Amino acid sequence: MLSYYSGFRLQSCGSDIAEHMLEMMAIRRQFAKCGMLGLALTALTFSQSLTQPLNYDRDVRPILSENCFQCHGQDSKKRMAGLRLDSFETATADRHGHAALVPGKPEESLIYQRITAEPRARRMPPVSANKNLTPEQVAVLKRWIEEGGQYAKHWAFAPPVRPPVPNAKDPWVRQPVDGFVLQRLREEGLHPNAEAPPGAWLRRVSLDLTGLPPAPAEVDAFTKQVQARGEAAYVAAVDRLLASPAYGERMAMDWLDVARYADTHGFNNDSERSMWPWRDWVIHSFNDNMPYSRFLTEQLAGDLLPHPTLDQLIATGFGRNHVINSEGGIIEEEYRVQYVTDRVRTLGMAWMGLTLECAHCHDHKFDPITQRDHYKFFAFFNNVPERGEDGRVANAPPMIPAPTSAQQEKMRTLEAEIGALSERLAKREKAAKWRAAELAGLAATETVPAGAVLLVACPENSEIGKTPGVHSCASGSIEPKPQTVTKVSISKRNPLTLSLWLKPAASDTDVALLSAIDYTENTASVEYGHGSELRLVGGEIELRLSQRFPSYSLRVQSSGANLKPGQWRHLTLVYGGADKHSLRVKAAWVRMFADGREVATHVLNDGLGLPGAKDDKPTETRFRIGWDNEVKSQRYAGLLGDVTAWSRALSDQEIASAFARGALSYAAALPNGQRTPVELRWLTNASLRARDAGFARAFDAREKLRAELFSLQRETPTVMVMQEMPLPRETHILVRGSYDAPGEKVEPGVPEDLLGAWPAGAPHNRLGLAQWLTQPDHPLTSRVVVNRFWQQLFGQGIVKTSDNFGMQGEWPSHPELLDWLACHFIDSGWNVKELMKMMVLSSTYRQSSDASPELVARDPENRLLARGPRFRLPAEVIRDQALEIAGLLKQEVGGPSVFPYQPPDLYKGIVVAADYPGTMYVESTGDDLYRRSLYTFWKRTVPHPAFNVFDAPDREVCIVRRSTTNTPLQALTLLNDPIFIEAARKLAERVLREGGVTPEARLTLAFRLATGHSPNERELQILNDALNKALAAFQRDEKGAQSLIQVGDAKSDRSIPAVELAAWTAVANIILNMDETITKG
Amino acid sequence: MRRLRKVEIVDCCNNFARVTSRRDFLSRAGYGLGAAALHTLLGGTKAVAQPADAPAAFPNFKPRAKRVIFLFQAGGPSHLDLLDYKPQMKDRFNQDIPASVFGTQRITGMVAQQDRFPVVPTMWGFRQYGESGQWLSELLPYTGKAADEICVLRGMYTEAINHDPAITFIQTGSQLPGRPSMGSWIDYGLGSENQNLPAFVVLNSLPSNGQPDQGLLSRLWGSGFLPGRYQGVQFRGGGDPVLDLSNPPGITREIRRGQLDALSALNQELHSRSNDPEIETRIAQYEMAFRMQMSVPDLANVSKEPDHIYSLYGEDARKPGTFAANCLLARRLAERGVRFIQLYHRGWDHHGGLTEKLPVLARDTDQPSAALVLDLKQRGLLDDTLVIWGGEFGRTPYAQGASKPTSYGRDHHGRVFSLWMAGGGVKRGYSYGASDDYGFNVVEGGVHIHDLQATILNVLGIDHTKLTFLFQGRQFRLTDVAGSVVKEILV
Repeated sequence: MLSYYSGFRLQSCGSDIAEHMLEMMAIRRQFAKCGMLGLALTALTFSQSLTQPLNYDRDVRPILSENCFQCHGQDSKKRMAGLRLDSFETATADRHGHAALVPGKPEESLIYQRITAEPRARRMPPVSANKNLTPEQVAVLKRWIEEGGQYAKHWAFAPPVRPPVPNAKDPWVRQPVDGFVLQRLREEGLHPNAEAPPGAWLRRVSLDLTGLPPAPAEVDAFTKQVQARGEAAYVAAVDRLLASPAYGERMAMDWLDVARYADTHGFNNDSERSMWPWRDWVIHSFNDNMPYSRFLTEQLAGDLLPHPTLDQLIATGFGRNHVINSEGGIIEEEYRVQYVTDRVRTLGMAWMGLTLECAHCHDHKFDPITQRDHYKFFAFFNNVPERGEDGRVANAPPMIPAPTSAQQEKMRTLEAEIGALSERLAKREKAAKWRAAELAGLAATETVPAGAVLLVACPENSEIGKTPGVHSCASGSIEPKPQTVTKVSISKRNPLTLSLWLKPAASDTDVALLSAIDYTENTASVEYGHGSELRLVGGEIELRLSQRFPSYSLRVQSSGANLKPGQWRHLTLVYGGADKHSLRVKAAWVRMFADGREVATHVLNDGLGLPGAKDDKPTETRFRIGWDNEVKSQRYAGLLGDVTAWSRALSDQEIASAFARGALSYAAALPNGQRTPVELRWLTNASLRARDAGFARAFDAREKLRAELFSLQRETPTVMVMQEMPLPRETHILVRGSYDAPGEKVEPGVPEDLLGAWPAGAPHNRLGLAQWLTQPDHPLTSRVVVNRFWQQLFGQGIVKTSDNFGMQGEWPSHPELLDWLACHFIDSGWNVKELMKMMVLSSTYRQSSDASPELVARDPENRLLARGPRFRLPAEVIRDQALEIAGLLKQEVGGPSVFPYQPPDLYKGIVVAADYPGTMYVESTGDDLYRRSLYTFWKRTVPHPAFNVFDAPDREVCIVRRSTTNTPLQALTLLNDPIFIEAARKLAERVLREGGVTPEARLTLAFRLATGHSPNERELQILNDALNKALAAFQRDEKGAQSLIQVGDAKSDRSIPAVELAAWTAVANIILNMDETITKG
Repeated sequence: MRRLRKVEIVDCCNNFARVTSRRDFLSRAGYGLGAAALHTLLGGTKAVAQPADAPAAFPNFKPRAKRVIFLFQAGGPSHLDLLDYKPQMKDRFNQDIPASVFGTQRITGMVAQQDRFPVVPTMWGFRQYGESGQWLSELLPYTGKAADEICVLRGMYTEAINHDPAITFIQTGSQLPGRPSMGSWIDYGLGSENQNLPAFVVLNSLPSNGQPDQGLLSRLWGSGFLPGRYQGVQFRGGGDPVLDLSNPPGITREIRRGQLDALSALNQELHSRSNDPEIETRIAQYEMAFRMQMSVPDLANVSKEPDHIYSLYGEDARKPGTFAANCLLARRLAERGVRFIQLYHRGWDHHGGLTEKLPVLARDTDQPSAALVLDLKQRGLLDDTLVIWGGEFGRTPYAQGASKPTSYGRDHHGRVFSLWMAGGGVKRGYSYGASDDYGFNVVEGGVHIHDLQATILNVLGIDHTKLTFLFQGRQFRLTDVAGSVVKEILV
């Protein structure tokens, strides 16, 4: 009995394994026999009855798995009659003198007895299972027992071994992959199809690698190049495509499905999130040809790499792309567990082609994955400081600022300029001495900005309360009891400025200064944590505005205020207030100032929605001063003074002034030698400014630059990322998968017996997991991804079930090809571009997709690859192509998602009534209407119909292959949707402008733009007739012509008569609808 | 509209020659045939390996009904104020729900901070209607007139306690996103009886008080992992009833016909080279789209409905997009053989102010829902149409906030709730199941969401355990791994 994937470990990839060659030759012969039945090619279920001998993996396991393992497999809880049929040892075990499996003796084997038993009621599988074995399947099992009933490790769980390339010398074999394909074709008695014309190949490869069609000029140039340079022309064309930025966009398209990327949170309110910096990371990674092993590692564990870069942190957004529920009243833990489960599911599906989630509630029914295994994986992803209920209006923490590269560039420039100025100023400051005389008049000129309301006056025995303009609080701390503030009103719509003096004590590490948040409610209550608060945290100031703490709150901390115990400091906080159009309150509206100078801010949460009625009316707020009411909270032990408010946003100048008015005379009045360095610096700076206009100018210039930098930082988009909590959560097996039924405790880990040992020295976290997945003898990682790339090019994988490499997955059409590719990919350093290049240069890929009816009948799905791939284009590519050939496409890589045309009232009647970001579709204008489709705003609960209709998933979960349906709604979209009508008009204008003067020449150009080749005589005739008919019709109905050419925002070419343009638009409409146009052939 | 699918051709590759002529192909494109019938027609047999996208023969047995109209009341209508009469609660006003009744109820975060759960009885009267003597709230007088046609299920229950999971559960069989909706499953299993309309149509409406509360989710009529063609097609109140149904301005039907003829000829030309059967399918789909451009507006054009129909459904039925107008549309869809008609009415989430909002919602839905049943009946359509009225869960017998006799709100409650069915082989003037004195727990006749789904499929002649789809290595079904047919309510 020969089995290539025999149970023992073979040498891993990269080794030359001559001793296996003979064995594999034998296997190929075996394929030759088993593949003879063309009839059953659909599912590639090889007719077993003709095969000699059987291959357990291919012939027997699928039958046992589908029909028996559910009750007689590894799930011990569901195992019936204590019988386990998934291993030789258990199947042959003694059962009261009998055995389920008696090798060589079917009649004595209980398996055979029971599957053939009469009457039906006694026969297995039982009636209740809804499964019936066919006579062929029974015959296979009988033969299998006769031949010894041997089991083999499932092929996909054994490391791939690089097989030798067959037919290497055959002239048809351009690339190694061809050798395998040819081998199989010969075994089937088939021949490769003729090569596609160069133009057809160029269109195919352009669509596959960039998602855009080649221009006719490119086709012409390429055709000439082929004549002149032969193969080199093909190589050059592929290199050009791989170097195009559009390549990364096309590759990202598929990955976004896998990574369940979207622009909204997906549940209930389904409001907007910003994960597009992660999406752009994906595009750039493909364009930079990042090795796939790194692509995997950074997405799984970028944050755990040593000194991770910003990009590596952004990459971990992969783990946060799952749906997040913000529905009030959910039980948080239930959903938090769900998010972790989704990460496990995605881990399985995206990287390993396994359905790990099946083991969420019980041992996997088919694959040797136990529930325990599932929770060991779960433990890797269970330590994110996240909440179950979050994401009502924006990203859910943990998140980081993710400036675009342009923003980063600008920030670097600003930082450099600020640094240079600071250096200059520091030199002067160092040398300078302050002069009382200079300051004498100074403080008097500073004013308290108008409208000030003193919230907290100082006690009478102020330390220096008698000094004019300074009201600092002297002896001991502020009485830590609630005080009513009656003179100021707070509303989230309206701006506010708050300033205060404080002198913290050493113990003030995390204390409330002013608190009006009630933390005593039940944390599950929707009313919990409503209010506002100012805190001192680790020497920085934190503002909290909260609907429900902490998920639905705004939390901003200063960064660089550097407040130290025992020092008086002045702080100002400016809250800009909501603009009229905003659907939410934003952290970007908060600015902070220390000693009159702006400091950077750091956003901890930005999840505050639009103020409700009760928050929007200015109300008097009662603050606790120096404490909050959380049970374990600390009290402020320092001093606080002059808490002043303005119900407007003060200007930078006013803030500096307010500070100076208090600070300078106070500091000046201190006895010499008793000033802190900070206080001394207030004085020297002020003095310098007064005497040196140059210094003052430079100083002001620096402040302006800093304000610009901080403003830029505040505008920076954020992205949700993976983080580890300092103390990991304990992970327990959840009984029946239920969040509230923790069972046995487990540690992070992997099924080492099944899928390979943990790499020596690897950390037991996500980074170690990534190392485990990318070790060269991991049986799945490489196979799964090369199979998906193959699927992208050939329409389906070598393993058709690209979403399942487990027991229930399909046997590969070309097992050795798959392994060769997997090994080659690893050996190439996981080089994606190289792999794509090799595949598209192969003879297999270059075949014409035209086929004889006999071949189509014989192999309708083209599993044998006796012709080139032919598939309807993905949704995004259909639109992109139409825009491109119409000359409308605006190519610009990355950035926030855009809002192209969508039926104006699409959301109406579906989305939640409340105003959340993402509940209104505000159409873009200008170029953003014509960006590539992958940038279209992806709302999970109401996906864009033009994509939805063409089988784009809603991205609620990881999907690794789309269906390709063919429906009347697709026809309606392509025929009538404004974007396609507009594209038809612009295509019409283009051919009228560029296509010469005769209708034939123009029609030819239009046809070429859409299909890559010229129409034949008959096609030209059909189009010409259609044109004449349309011309005649619009001559009768000029008004109709006028209205047709007004569809879409792009301006019409006025020089073309309306009737002519409309008729050409109608014809272009036909061309955009041709099957050939929307098909990669 | 049976959309001929690739797999069906694939499926019968040994008979391929029989369907290669275009005329033959078009004539066979599944008009009036379910997938299974087509499968057989084209020579498929059980011996042929079943592609993942081809269901076994459905119906499995003689169906009681051919189609379903689901009048979905999103938000969780209060069973205690509408369908489940609890006179005992009157005497217990403002008392706490006894712990023995409360049990291990999972409560939502919205009431988690309440220190007590005071009973609030309904402020409306209940009375018996019809010969069957169904107890219904005075808020449902029209439903009362149809009392002898309906079967009230008072022992419904679900595990979900919040809208998104609960509504996703009842519509897809799973609380989490990703599964096909009920209509998609049924379309997949049975196909359509009409060549010019989708098999699965969705109609949304807003409550007349303009407070829909919750959003809907297109996954509720999405096809999940089933191929995209099984997703529900939304018919919309304003504009095109179906997206992109109308020709662009200036393109007359005559011009469009000319375009389609040219397109068809071009596609034929391509087919003669490539022999890809998908091209033939595409030609057929363009023809179907062309027919839909006639059939859908014809369907949506209710202007010729006589006045007595408007007095039956109520004058709201004249306003497109109202629940009443959609009920009328639903009848017209049913007449045309649409398989699964899903209506949504929204705004039942009455945490507070139930006492003001419920009468509005009840008025919106009472008359048209009853009218639909009676109208179907008078047309002889009720016997083979299953009408279902209900939401994703009920509401708590205790008040959310304070319990006041005529001003209260109720939280979500899934442990027991009510819905009604009519037609399609369901017992008339019947009620099944009961809750306890508080309307808190099921006492008898419990019907789980999966049971409801199993029953709906059963009415259509489908064994719910057999309607499966292989996805990622597992056979999935609407009822997951559970569900029993509620035989007691079937005739």
